[in-house]
Amino acid sequence: MSKIALRIAGVSVASALACGLATSANAQLLAHKDLSLAMATTIAQVTIDTCKAQGYNVSVHVLGREGQVVLAVRNPDAGLATFENSMKKAYTARTFSRSSGEFAEGVKGNPNAGALFLTNITPAQGALPIKVGNETIGAVGVSGAPGGEKDEACAKAGIDKVSADLK
Amino acid sequence: MSKTALRVAGISLVAAIACGLAGSANAQLLARKDISAAMALTMAETAVATCKTNGYNVSANVLGRNGEIIVAMRGDNTGPHTLENSMKKAYTARAQRRSSGDFGDSIKDNFTAGALHLTNIVPTRGALPIKVGEDTIGAIGVSGAPGGEKDEACAKAGIDKVADQLK
Repeated sequence: MSKIALRIAGVSVASALACGLATSANAQLLAHKDLSLAMATTIAQVTIDTCKAQGYNVSVHVLGREGQVVLAVRNPDAGLATFENSMKKAYTARTFSRSSGEFAEGVKGNPNAGALFLTNITPAQGALPIKVGNETIGAVGVSGAPGGEKDEACAKAGIDKVSADLK
Repeated sequence: MSKTALRVAGISLVAAIACGLAGSANAQLLARKDISAAMALTMAETAVATCKTNGYNVSANVLGRNGEIIVAMRGDNTGPHTLENSMKKAYTARAQRRSSGDFGDSIKDNFTAGALHLTNIVPTRGALPIKVGEDTIGAIGVSGAPGGEKDEACAKAGIDKVADQLK
């Protein structure tokens, strides 16, 4: 390689480093889309109404990106445990980015699965993650219907109602 | 006292005890009115929307007769403490059967007031009891506005919205 070629290569490396530092990924804030309260309210309301129309009284939790409660609704006509259970199902769906029922299927043959021993994790169907593309931004959990698949159907109705805005 | 008089008195006593057992107040169930999920949602939504209109982002909690959460609502862009704080204010208003601010005023010169040291009791304005006549059936708490009286105004708007159903 000639001296000139080496010098050009050196300049290229230097400029590449400089540009690399200036536009480092670490220097940028994370750009997030998050659930609004209005959207969470719509999801919860549609979920409750859908189950009610089918004859089931359910409690609902809508959790945000960090698993925080955005909206919690206790149905006084549903069982006492439904409030807590809807939260735990939603937390499970949020953290595993899939339905709590799919998580339950995943650990069914493994009672020692580590995840089962974490706080607020429950292997019970009835919650779905709320996604923007492949990114999970929250979850909705439902409890009170006679069967997790019935809870989940209402959760799906809630998410479907706002699906056009999940972008 | 004659033997006859004693016998009459004895019969009266037996009859009184028998009637007392049959018609005891303890044998009757408590007849209560309680807050529905729909009513609680309306109150919370109205409180959050009212504060939004006033320029404040707030969270709200609606608690039932036993201090249980019926609706917990996290407002958009609120501080992370506001959901907890609105719950504690509401719990205080429920327990004290008066506004949390009035409770705060009443103990402000008495930091050793026993009630202040119970769980979930705060001397902070921003919550009102929900009443049917003289019976406190729950409370609504609001947190996030710059000043407890501004929170309380939104709580009041929430209750006013369903006032005609509180009977």
